[in-house]
Amino acid sequence: MDSFAANKRFAQDIDVQFPLLSDWKRKTTKDYGLYNEATGYGARATFVVDKGGIIRHIEEGRTAVDPTGAYQACSIFQKKKA
Amino acid sequence: MMKKALALISLLAIAVVAAAQQPAPPKTQLKVGDAAPEFALTDTGGKPVKLSDFRGKKNVVLAFYVLAFTGG
Repeated sequence: MDSFAANKRFAQDIDVQFPLLSDWKRKTTKDYGLYNEATGYGARATFVVDKGGIIRHIEEGRTAVDPTGAYQACSIFQKKKA
Repeated sequence: MMKKALALISLLAIAVVAAAQQPAPPKTQLKVGDAAPEFALTDTGGKPVKLSDFRGKKNVVLAFYVLAFTGG
């Protein structure tokens, strides 16, 4: 939702090691049901998607800031692989 | 003392009413087990990134972190 340029500066500042994507048109935020019409912004959420494109974990709201749930979901994938 | 207590209670009451009037944040309609909607977005290098780029290769963590620290 932030602009491409704002994201680029942010990525440089903190040296991010993963793709930082801009949803400037809000389409993806809407597709994922997170767009707030009243504010014009999206809600925070984390989705863990497996290799088959299936959602395996969803974290919404305040807890989405905490990566523990997503990390645990990823750990399950690792255990299944082992 | 009593006036201060009353003022504090009034402020708290106003804060509670204000909080109650905030529209609830949207909740996703998606559920665990659903297919994740496809997207095609641009990364910070200007390169297009699609969810399907990772199909069969990697698990993906999608973090929607709106207006976090980017100032935009």
